[in-house]
Amino acid sequence: MLRITRRAGERVIVGGDVVIEVLEVRGAMVRLGIDAPRSVSIYREELWLEIKQENEAAASAPDQLPALPEGVPTLPEDLPTLKPE
Amino acid sequence: MIATPVNIAASDAPDAGGEFETHQTSRFGEVQVLVDSIVEFPDGLIGVGGSRYALLRTDQASPFVWLQSLTEPGLALPVTNPHRFVNDFEVELSDEEGERLGFTEGGEPADVFVTVTATSVLADFTINTKAPILIRERRGYQVLNQAAGVAVKTPLFPA
Repeated sequence: MLRITRRAGERVIVGGDVVIEVLEVRGAMVRLGIDAPRSVSIYREELWLEIKQENEAAASAPDQLPALPEGVPTLPEDLPTLKPE
Repeated sequence: MIATPVNIAASDAPDAGGEFETHQTSRFGEVQVLVDSIVEFPDGLIGVGGSRYALLRTDQASPFVWLQSLTEPGLALPVTNPHRFVNDFEVELSDEEGERLGFTEGGEPADVFVTVTATSVLADFTINTKAPILIRERRGYQVLNQAAGVAVKTPLFPA
């Protein structure tokens, strides 16, 4: 991993179009400002990991989902089946 | 099994007999996917990727449909319409994300789905209301919901 020492107000340029600025350093906390192109999504790592794990858990569902009890709502009528029966 | 493709928005309904693509999937074998129902995910799903998906319905009576990756045959997630299960469900995006993805107040509405984490026991089912999936004009994004009370594991059938 590349290690760079920066002070508040100093920046790092990643790949030419991502700019990360150290906005504030206070005790153990660092505030970062990030400028990136619209195509780049930015997440806090712990949230990204939590969602990744949930997506993986969802993707490991059994092929046959258990039958639902009576009265469970279903998708609305406005999601028509497109393939002719 | 031939899974039946599900339309993603009434406005996208094509004329009868549209064009189909054949795809191999791990769960459903060979499926016929209506080209007009294919959704591009420029950023993939968070942490699991995939850039092209189709919504497949395998059971007419079920509230769940499958978001099947067309690039990774083994990748499919059950999804559902959260409004059917959660009262007052709302998606609130940060200004940055709304602007980045083009979802803004008063803008064109999007279809909302949430992933379903399913087990063999119905009572343990959860949906991810923290990271819903927005689909509009055949482009999909998994977003961060800033609304109050959302969670990665929201019980689907609270006791």
